[in-house]
Formats: sequence, C-alpha cells, structure tokens
Amino acid sequence: MRRSVISFTVFTVLLSFMLFGVTTYSADPIRIGFNLEITGAVAGYGQMGWEGAQLVREFVPMEVLGRPVEFVLVDNKSDKVEASNATSRLIEKEKVVAIIGPMTSGAMIAAGDIAEKKQVPILGPSTTSPLATQGKEYVFRVCYTDPFQAEIGAKYAYEDLGARKAAVLFDIANDYCVTLGQYFKDSFEKQGGDIVVFTQCSAGDQDFSAQLTAIKNANPDVIYLPNYYEEVGLILRQAKDLGLTQPILSADGVDVDEIWGLAGSSIEGLMHTAHWHEKAGMTDVGKKYISAYKEKHGGEVNSFGALAADCVLLVLDAIERAGSTDPVKIQAALQATKDLDVVTGNISIADNTAVKSVVIREAKDGNWEFKSIVNP
Amino acid sequence: MSDKSRKTFLMIIFLCVLFILVWVSDKFLDEYTMRVIRTGLIYIIAAISYNLINGIAGQFSLGPNGFMALGGYMVALLMLPLEQKKFVWFLKPLIWPFNSFSFTKAFFPLAIFFGGMAGALGALVVGFPTLRLRGDYLAIATFGFSQIIIVLANNLISVTNGALGIKGVPEYANIYWCLAWAIITVLFTTNLANSSYGRAMKSIRDDEIAAESMGISIFKHKLLAFVVSGFFAGVSGGLMTSLITTISPSLFSFTMTFNLLIIIVLGGLGSITGSVITAFAFAILSELLRFVESPINLGPIYIPGIAGMRMLVFSFLLVVLMIFYRRGIFGEKELSWDWVLSRFGSKNHQGVKVCPGKTEHF
Repeated sequence: MRRSVISFTVFTVLLSFMLFGVTTYSADPIRIGFNLEITGAVAGYGQMGWEGAQLVREFVPMEVLGRPVEFVLVDNKSDKVEASNATSRLIEKEKVVAIIGPMTSGAMIAAGDIAEKKQVPILGPSTTSPLATQGKEYVFRVCYTDPFQAEIGAKYAYEDLGARKAAVLFDIANDYCVTLGQYFKDSFEKQGGDIVVFTQCSAGDQDFSAQLTAIKNANPDVIYLPNYYEEVGLILRQAKDLGLTQPILSADGVDVDEIWGLAGSSIEGLMHTAHWHEKAGMTDVGKKYISAYKEKHGGEVNSFGALAADCVLLVLDAIERAGSTDPVKIQAALQATKDLDVVTGNISIADNTAVKSVVIREAKDGNWEFKSIVNP
Repeated sequence: MSDKSRKTFLMIIFLCVLFILVWVSDKFLDEYTMRVIRTGLIYIIAAISYNLINGIAGQFSLGPNGFMALGGYMVALLMLPLEQKKFVWFLKPLIWPFNSFSFTKAFFPLAIFFGGMAGALGALVVGFPTLRLRGDYLAIATFGFSQIIIVLANNLISVTNGALGIKGVPEYANIYWCLAWAIITVLFTTNLANSSYGRAMKSIRDDEIAAESMGISIFKHKLLAFVVSGFFAGVSGGLMTSLITTISPSLFSFTMTFNLLIIIVLGGLGSITGSVITAFAFAILSELLRFVESPINLGPIYIPGIAGMRMLVFSFLLVVLMIFYRRGIFGEKELSWDWVLSRFGSKNHQGVKVCPGKTEHF
C-alpha cells in the first residue's frame, strides 16, 4: 500500500511536469539552437558561451525577416554521446535553422557529423582543432585554428622576443593543448630555434615541479604554456616559486577572468595570443558588448562569451542575406560572409573558418596590455 | 506441448514481435528517437556485461570503461576509411598495420567481434594477476587498469591519435546491429548464468570458501566471467564508437563505469532483465527528462530553464528507489516465461517452479 502511494506520487509529479512542460509560443519565431557544455567537465566554457550569446539580445534587435528570434538551449554535459543526441534533438524536435556550439572540438566532431548529414549549419565558437571542420561543409569555426595560433606564437617568440631556445609544457589529455604544443615546436624549429624541453602534464594535475625543474635546468629563453587557465594559473605560481624568470607565452585558453585570481601576482608579464583587444580596432558591436557585459556581470570580459556572441551575429546576418530560414541557404550565406563586424573584430569566412587577426597581449598591473597584432 | 517447447515457441514469437516493432519504428519514427533507442540498446549490452562480473560472479570490478575503450579503438582503427586515416593522424603518422587497410561495410560485424576480442584480451591480461584479489582490492586494481587504458590512449598518439581522438568512423551501427548484439548478449549471458558455470559463479559470489570446498575452481570461474564480460564491454564500446562516429579518451572516462554501476544497482545486481530494463530506461530518460531543463511557461508564471535538473531528478529517483527497493528493482529475480505463464497462461500450467540452482522467479 505504502509503495503504491509513493509510486503514484512520483508518477503524478512527473506527469504534471510533462504536461506543463509544453510551452506555447505566440508568433512564429526563428529558432537558433545552442548545444553547449552547461554541466560536466568543461562546464565553464559552455556557461561563458551562453552568457555571451544572451548578451547580444541587449544591444541587437532579435528580429530577422520580420520574425522574432528564439534561442533554444540544450545541455550536452560535456559528453560526446550527449552532444550527438542533443544535435539530433535540436534538428528533429526543436526544428532549429542553425546550431551554435559545442564549444569544445571533441564534442563538435561528434555533433558536426549529424549536422552535416541533416544539412543544418553548426558553428563552433571556440572549436580550434583542425579536425572539427575537416571534410565538412556545414560545420563552421568562428575562431582561428590551433596550428595558425601556434605558428603566430612561435614567430612572436623567435622574432619579437628574440628567443632561440624554447621550452614547451603542454597538457597531453586535451586535444587543444596537444595540437598547439606540437605546432609550436614544429614552427619554432623551422625558423631555426631549438626546443630544449618538450614535456607534458595531464588535465587535473596540481603539481608541476618536476617539469618546471627540468625547464629550469635547460634554461630556455621562452616558455610556451598552451594550456587551459586552470593549469596555467597553477604553473605560473609554481614557476615563480622555483625562480623562473623567462618570459612565458600562452594561448587563448587563458582569456578568462578567473586567471587573475588563480595566478595572483605571478601573472605579471604573461603574454598570450588572444582574439581581441580594445586597442586593436574595436568594432561598434564590440564596444557595446563590453559595456553590456560590464554592466551585467562585472569583471573582465572573456573570449569564449565573445566568440559565442560572434556566432549569433554571424547567423543573424546570414539569415538576413539568405532571405530565408532554409538551413541550406543559410549555410551558403554563411560561407559567403565578407567583412562582417562582430564583437571580436571584422571577419570573413573562408574554408568554413573565420579569417581574423591574432592579438598578442601581456598581463600588466591587473590588465591585459596590447603588444602587437598579426593579420592573417 | 511440453514446458520447454512452449517457452521456445514464446521466445520465437517474442523475437518476431520485437523485430516487427523495430522495423515499424525505423520506418515511422524520427532519427532523433531512433538514435536514443540505439544508445539504449548499447547501454543494455554494456550493463549486462558489467552485471555478469559484478552481479552474477560477485566480483566488484571498476574497469568496464577500459574494456569499452579497447573495443572502441579496435573498431575505429579497423573501420576508418584509408583516406580519413591520412587526415586524422596529422601530428604523427599511424603505425603499421592499421595504416595499410580498412574494413568495408560488409565486415562491420567482424570488426565489432574483433572489438569484443580486444576487450576480452584486455580482461584476460588484467584478470590473470588481479582475480586472486577480493572485494575492495580487486576494485582498486581494475580501476587502476581502466585509468592506464585512458593514459595510454592519451599518449600513444601514433595509434590512438591521443586526446585529439579519431573522427569519421562510418556510422554502420544501425538499429538492427544494435538490436542483434543486444539479443546475443542477453541470450548468451542468460544461458551462461543458468549453466553449471553460472551456478558456480553464483556460488562463488555467495560464499567463496564454501564454493571452493565443494570443488569449484574459483580462479577459473572468475576469469571466465571476467573475459566474457570484457568481450561484451568491447562490443558495446565498438558499437558506441560507430554510433557517434568518433572516439577519444574522454568518451570512455570513469563516468561511464559510474553510469553502468547506477544501472546495474538500480536494476538489481545479478538480474539480467533488471539490467536490460534500467539500461534502456536510463538512456531514454536522460533525453526524455530534458523538458525539466527547458524554460517552462505556465501562463502567468515563467520559470527559466535550469541546466543540470535532469541529474537532480535522476538522483532523486535513485534515493527513492534505494530507500524502498534496497536490492534494486528486480533484486536477483528475472522476468521469465515461467512468471509470464503463471500470471497470464493457461490454468493447467505448473506456475512457479523453483529448481535448485536456477534463478527464482516472481
């Protein structure tokens, strides 16, 4: 008896959820899907992306072709199986015209395969792996690729910093870090430099003293840390404790407000390849985005949110130019994107990848200071 | 009609109905639903293989994600088309012999079989030294093994492409292959569990010393359960790789083992039908429960979507079930034809038969 009462209650609760879960819509909106890492191992990136995308609503009218635009968010739990199911759901059930996300390349590879088959454009805000778009017509990347970024980093280290000996410490468990590390090595050696230490850590490591000691003994001119902000923050602190004074170069993975707290004062002098800087030709939407961000969330803007906002602007522009909500026409319009002003600068699309310049910034007195800009 | 032939007859009818059901849903349901069903079938295979070692043989292993990864990488390496192999390994070239051939579509079942063999081989290698351990020690050893597999997958770039993973695996794991492998797994495991080997495994689970004094070779039976479990885990890993067309070390992280553990504990340790039902429900519910995360509009009240609510509902169900059904939904019982016949069958049927050593029925 007691059991049946309890199971009855559980079922009623679930049923009422289902009945009321059906939402009703007044107009006939254009739906853009978001397949993001809101929970799970890399939840931070998905949440930043969603924040950034929603911020666009504050300064851009959410209306295209006379119809309102609606965002549909599904969480992929930072998991490949979920990312595929979520993509399938967005296309089949939610009937979206384009999908933004996942943020990470691994999940995008799984999701992109389905979008390609169903011919719905899918845009990765920060999917820097070359594998993400390889052989795909409907998968887009709204940032530069890892090989390109690593090459710029290596050039900057060799030419501008005058380094001849470099050490690389990368995270072997992250595709992003592995590609950057490998391409930095190739590119730096090609220019005539010497990689004296090429060592690795693994995501979640807390202690880097073994690797840092090896680097200290080799005495390189520059240290390249192509890792996510969690690791970089810890490495910077431990490097300072060990007395390493070489310039440290990192990549766009550190463009997150949290890095300042994680690294503390040891962040001073950290240089990294980034997507944007106020002094490097900021667009009008970019300015609006920054002020809206500071008003709403406070703190420093991050590149992940800004890149997701870029995706929204790109899709809206493509729908406008296509004059239709047919995903195939939107894809064609996306591929033809030319000189569009988005949050992180002015971009065009070539080979399904945003062509954009790399900015090099340096941490100084609690701020990112502009160092140089490299155009593609 | 004798009892046995009646059951065989019912089984055949059941399989035919199942096949027609699948054929009809393949024709009329959308791809999203079919994808979720395929995921569910793959979870069934993985859950049964895990239940064989944990529930039936009673050895607490924490390594199925490692075996699944072995199967997955095997299938990916065998099935990936040659031109795709050139693109994917752009950091370091792929080693021989995998760089010189790839299976065509017709050999897909063979590739899945090899995936299973990779899992079985892994189980043999890890089981041989570790199955002399008991309880927590075995759990730690198998956990260590699965971690080693993940670390190897990250570091052996010229085989696994490291953290970048392999992409472009052909999606041949359609509903029929998933169903066929799920049925093979269920039938094989059920027959194994009801054979003398299975009874020996259960006796080891219930009391190792008593089993040994009855003359049962403990090590041999544990190893058998472990290797069969490794085989089907490899099969499920291979099918999953083909379903989502990509594999990387993070696909088979420890979360996978954790999910499977939830499934078999919920379904009942030692109950194959329990694993089937909860594994399928787990996959379906993870998608079905998405509505609790979407914004809810109740006219005047608007509730914005909260991500992660699905997991909250799951946890709630888990707590409730563990309070009221401590031994899982099915306990050690099976949903069998005997039970079905005794409930709905003719009056002259014998009803519940409790044979010594056989699983008890409802």
